[in-house]
Amino acid sequence: MYKTLKWIRVALSLLILIILTLNFFYFSNTSPNFSAVLLKFQFVPSMLGILTGSALFFIILIILTFLFGRVYCSTLCPVGTFQDIVSRFASLFKSKKNRRYKYSKGYDWLRYSVLVLVMLPLIGGITLPIAILDPYSNWGRISSQLFDRGVQTINNIIASIFPNTFYINNYSHFALAALLAAIVFLLVIICFSAIRGRLYCNTICPVGSILGGLSKFALFKPEINGNCNQCMLCVSKCKSQCIDVKNHKIDVSRCVACLDCMQGCNRNAIGYRFAFKKVENKSSEEGKNIDKQGRRRAILTLGLLSGVVAARAAKIGPLVRTKAEKNAIAPPGAVSFENLKNHCTTCHACISACPSQIIKPALLEYGLEGIMMPTLSYKDHFCTYECNKCSQVCPNGALLPLSIEEKKLCQIGKAKYCLKECIVYRDGTDCGACDEHCPTNAITMVPYKDTGLYIPKLDRNVCIGCGACEYICPASPVKAIIVIGNEEHQIAMEAAKEEKKEVKIDEFGF
Amino acid sequence: MERRGFLKVAAASSLLGFLGGGSSILRASEPASPPNINDLVAVMGGEPEAMYLRAIKEMGGISRFVKKGQRVVVKPNIGWNKKPEEAANTNPQLVAAIVKDCLKAGASEVVVFDHTCDSWMPCYKNSGIEAAAKAAGARIAFGHDEKYYRMVNIPRGVRMKQAKIHEEILDCDVWINVPVLKNHGGARMTISMKNFMGIVWDRKFLHANDLQQCIADCSTISKMPVLNIVDAYRIMTTNGPVGKGPEDVQLAKALFMSTDIVAADTAALKFFSQFREMKLSDVGHIMIAEKMKIGTTDLDKLQVSRIKM
Repeated sequence: MYKTLKWIRVALSLLILIILTLNFFYFSNTSPNFSAVLLKFQFVPSMLGILTGSALFFIILIILTFLFGRVYCSTLCPVGTFQDIVSRFASLFKSKKNRRYKYSKGYDWLRYSVLVLVMLPLIGGITLPIAILDPYSNWGRISSQLFDRGVQTINNIIASIFPNTFYINNYSHFALAALLAAIVFLLVIICFSAIRGRLYCNTICPVGSILGGLSKFALFKPEINGNCNQCMLCVSKCKSQCIDVKNHKIDVSRCVACLDCMQGCNRNAIGYRFAFKKVENKSSEEGKNIDKQGRRRAILTLGLLSGVVAARAAKIGPLVRTKAEKNAIAPPGAVSFENLKNHCTTCHACISACPSQIIKPALLEYGLEGIMMPTLSYKDHFCTYECNKCSQVCPNGALLPLSIEEKKLCQIGKAKYCLKECIVYRDGTDCGACDEHCPTNAITMVPYKDTGLYIPKLDRNVCIGCGACEYICPASPVKAIIVIGNEEHQIAMEAAKEEKKEVKIDEFGF
Repeated sequence: MERRGFLKVAAASSLLGFLGGGSSILRASEPASPPNINDLVAVMGGEPEAMYLRAIKEMGGISRFVKKGQRVVVKPNIGWNKKPEEAANTNPQLVAAIVKDCLKAGASEVVVFDHTCDSWMPCYKNSGIEAAAKAAGARIAFGHDEKYYRMVNIPRGVRMKQAKIHEEILDCDVWINVPVLKNHGGARMTISMKNFMGIVWDRKFLHANDLQQCIADCSTISKMPVLNIVDAYRIMTTNGPVGKGPEDVQLAKALFMSTDIVAADTAALKFFSQFREMKLSDVGHIMIAEKMKIGTTDLDKLQVSRIKM
């Protein structure tokens, strides 16, 4: 039975890894996001988005953990699956002896210190530590910053061979912080998993620690029974190095429920057993101590977890703020810089989803705590009026879903017009590029003195900050019109409607 | 860097041009039209396809312009992510009718594209042009990346001496210019000549270097369209070129066709003026174009056919 289960687990985890990764490729933005809902099934997003539509996913993940332990880590987590692939691949280059895992006591002090260091700032509204360590967010960054570029390159090679069928895809922004973060994390998990399996998951990963703490109360836990002859087969297969065969004990908090041990055992000596209330029956003093320790940790985990959720419910904003360096423009749906900072773990799902590729990871635009968070840049394009893709894909609730109609009035910033730089004023020639591109009619062309020229007139209340004017403004080196981001998004006014005059004519006019 | 280099070249060559005087030799010679064939055809009162078929008949048939085996580009205005009834783009039925006619005349391939202003994919789709042109047998080309454009010299250009032009235009045998008639906040009007901005990569250059002159300069490229067909089925009279809403659009049900790009724009402008006053002298690029001898605004000199359906 465990054999079948294990293969189902493997197949499922690979499928999830592939679909999840596809979400971060450039072509995901041209098709409806069939799989964006999968992003919500990730632990950290569901925890942060608990009040904005992800409660169901969060509860399912918690229930799953209370039933069978860290199923998330073995099946749903993209980094977990990726590490398994790396371990498997690395074992091909190892001697038979080195290929076998050994039992290790684990590094509980490290795990829970990291967890506290990540969760306390999160309660205080600072997501940076968890953004750096959360496996899902990291996978998002790796996919969009590294894998996607590879796929784009392949696409563009194909497009140059078949120019009539495939189109060239422009590369997205180069973003130093996000690119470095992706490279470093990828190298770290490759090293960790190549050498010692799920070491990252059991020493650093905050999600692993949370779910590990909860696994303590799981209804079904892996156990070794009397059939065991200590052949060590299970130990040698355990990527978490958590099976202590000598004492017939399994460290449930580190077990990622991969089922490899159960599938490998020839004597049916290891398997899931109903474990409710069994923990109290331990007799030895040492057993009780371990038990107590486990319970303490579980309580700590639960406490931190409920702290995070409570802080979200109480809308506690970032307690510490560094000064923002530059003008940031939060994507539509972000509500405010504060909401974005409270929820975003910089997975870059929005960045990948943007068809115009104008969302880029911030450097210090939002301040240090907002590093790598999405900000809009109108250098290469502008925010498409009829598009709400970014707001639809965010699993964290950092960007709340907007309907197209809401998006069209969502004022993410306001344009600022500088007459002195304007071509019409400076060169005395016609231009009107900004008016031409403005989708809301915030800009209208009005007669300019007696020159016969027309000059832009800006109504900032109608402006939504889409940046079409900034993008197209030909004035250089300084643009005559730029968008300043709104710290709190507003609802823009609609341009005044004019009466339609039906004109009927019978002649050509010449 | 690129622009600075360009400006140097532009400055140097304008000096040369000044010294060299008139360069009428460089003008693409227009095929001498048989005496009974019209220079300009204006049709009103029909559906887009019917008006096109009627007008092209008056022009001597499409085979006058498209020969067997030729590669043809039909260049509509697909600049905006707008639906056909919003009149921001060329009418898709008209585009389809032209494509079909070219194929019937034996064109080996008909290509449709535009360098859009809004994101290209929704423009192609929501304008209805991609679907209509494909159904009619055309190939849709891409225009969203600089790689699809090649630098060419514009020796007669005054401000614009060089531009990156779309390769489909440069590599085709003939091309047909199919703009839509609209008011324009910057250029005042957008008709046939303004439609050339969709074959150029760097549009900002035009805006930054005397828009009206640059539009006229564009119409001096050696590869001029063999025919200009102005779609005035629905016209945008105010708040162009994008429009605010249905109040900006009038159902005018007209079409203009000419080999002379300036004449086509003049005729369309005079028609437009009946809906909203717009003087010829207000539209700088048409006036400049006449001065540069690109075409004529004097419609009385031409053989014009006016048809009411």
